[in-house]
Amino acid sequence: MIEIDNLVKHYGSKKAVNGISFTVNDDEVLGFLGPNGAGKTTTMNIITGFLSSTSGTVKVNGHDILDEPELAKKDIGYLPEQPPLYLDMTVIEYLNFMCDLKNVKKSDRKKMLSDIMSMVKINNVSGRLIGNLSKGYKQRVGIAQALIGDPKILILDEPTVGLDPGQVLEMRKLVKSLSKNHSIIISSHILSEIQAVCDRVVIINHGKVAAIDNINDLSKRLSGTSKFLLTIRGNADDTLAKIRMIPEISEAKLRRSHEDYHEIELLISNNAKTDPREAIFFTLAKLGVPMLEFRSIDPTLEEIFLSITG
Amino acid sequence: MFAIYKREFLSYFRNPTGYVAIALFSFISGVFFISMLMNGALNMSSEINSMRSFFIIIVPIVTMGLFSEDRKRGTEVIYYANPITMFDVVLGKFLAAMSLIFVMFINVFIHMIVTLAFGGVVTSGDWGVTIVFFFLAALFVAMGCLASAMTDSQLISAILCFVFLLIVSLISTLASFANTGISTLLTNILGNTEQANSIGEGLANAINWLDPFAKTQNFRFGVFGVAPLFFCISIAVFFLYLTFRILEKKRWSQN
Repeated sequence: MIEIDNLVKHYGSKKAVNGISFTVNDDEVLGFLGPNGAGKTTTMNIITGFLSSTSGTVKVNGHDILDEPELAKKDIGYLPEQPPLYLDMTVIEYLNFMCDLKNVKKSDRKKMLSDIMSMVKINNVSGRLIGNLSKGYKQRVGIAQALIGDPKILILDEPTVGLDPGQVLEMRKLVKSLSKNHSIIISSHILSEIQAVCDRVVIINHGKVAAIDNINDLSKRLSGTSKFLLTIRGNADDTLAKIRMIPEISEAKLRRSHEDYHEIELLISNNAKTDPREAIFFTLAKLGVPMLEFRSIDPTLEEIFLSITG
Repeated sequence: MFAIYKREFLSYFRNPTGYVAIALFSFISGVFFISMLMNGALNMSSEINSMRSFFIIIVPIVTMGLFSEDRKRGTEVIYYANPITMFDVVLGKFLAAMSLIFVMFINVFIHMIVTLAFGGVVTSGDWGVTIVFFFLAALFVAMGCLASAMTDSQLISAILCFVFLLIVSLISTLASFANTGISTLLTNILGNTEQANSIGEGLANAINWLDPFAKTQNFRFGVFGVAPLFFCISIAVFFLYLTFRILEKKRWSQN
């Protein structure tokens, strides 16, 4: 568990981080979003002890990062934006070095390294110089070093940079599997990735928390309504008139008309006490209008992100 | 600390730095030894003292990448974000550089063995000079650590270290200049030559007090003392402390 309370970091007269507070619960994946320069990396660096805050506290499993740095850092695995790799070492030498730094017992080391290398699929390059590896492999070695010592908390800054689409999917799977027994903070500009793996998101802007919630609640909160797209075949005007009579529907409008089907956009009020989807179905059934598609068109994370960060 | 030490020491041999430093040291010490051998007068103190003059080239080579390279590559995050202290990092890197200097010095030990094998003498003065060599090396390597922590460029780090070592090497010359300069200036101002000279001499003595070469010169005659060695170690610790503070400052920096 990470507790961040009123974190402030000054760079000269600029406040890179301005009173950020949030908590990451056990076994939770938290997405950390914000435009470039919003303070994401600074916040992550403060959490890991790489930087010190001007004021505010960071507690990692109850240990203050400044008062008990060694205990706090023991529980953290950190993958910075640029993986901290020694290019003149082989993968296995580097991982052994990281084991030394994290005080991994010699007896546990072999199995731990074998498990981690299998997990991130770098077994085949263990004897190669890191400097000779592709960007994707370097990123995976960076992830491997973060996993050494079995830290309870993982902080991953842009973990999929440099990975090909297949590797990105593998990374998502890996994060999902790790989330069963790790708290994870993951920062990424690929919002679909955040949407796919995170339980909650924190959006920061100009050094402040602009929003913090799970993605569905965030989209509802932002739009104030739920939005659906209904595609029908038949008379659009009659259908619209009947649908507008359903009390939970605050607005129904024709979005697009094609030769043989029509798209209707429905806004459902947040005050709606019952789910209007059944009523819509039966209304269409009574009219004998075939329903071709009915889906939610709530704001995507991209839309939420843009509306919050301007 | 041992993890850092091991990585840094082995890294000297993963790139040309270690080989260049050892080759350079071996070549220069070899030239001295051969020339003495050809003259038929082997004097190990003389060889070791001569090698001290090359600290000004060798120490910057050995220390220039210690911290600057980490900063440049972004690997310094490893030291800040893992459960080790910055003290361990500084000490580990310092000891790695000292170990490389010890490895270089093995060549001189071989020369000693050859000297003994040919019926020559290795005196207590030679051992004294050897001890001084390592204490001075510690002092200069600590200065190199500071220079390396001050920048992310290996070249600038090497130049800074070179300047530090040059200043130390020229302390007696600087003291002499200070003596002459201050004496002349004060004579013109005060008009009292004796008083001006005594102030000039006092200043020169104060500067000379900082000269580690002067402090340790009696070792070559077999006259050992703890104070000069303690002096070298104190200054080395001071420079290592400054290195530690500079690295810690980065964490707290608000610029």
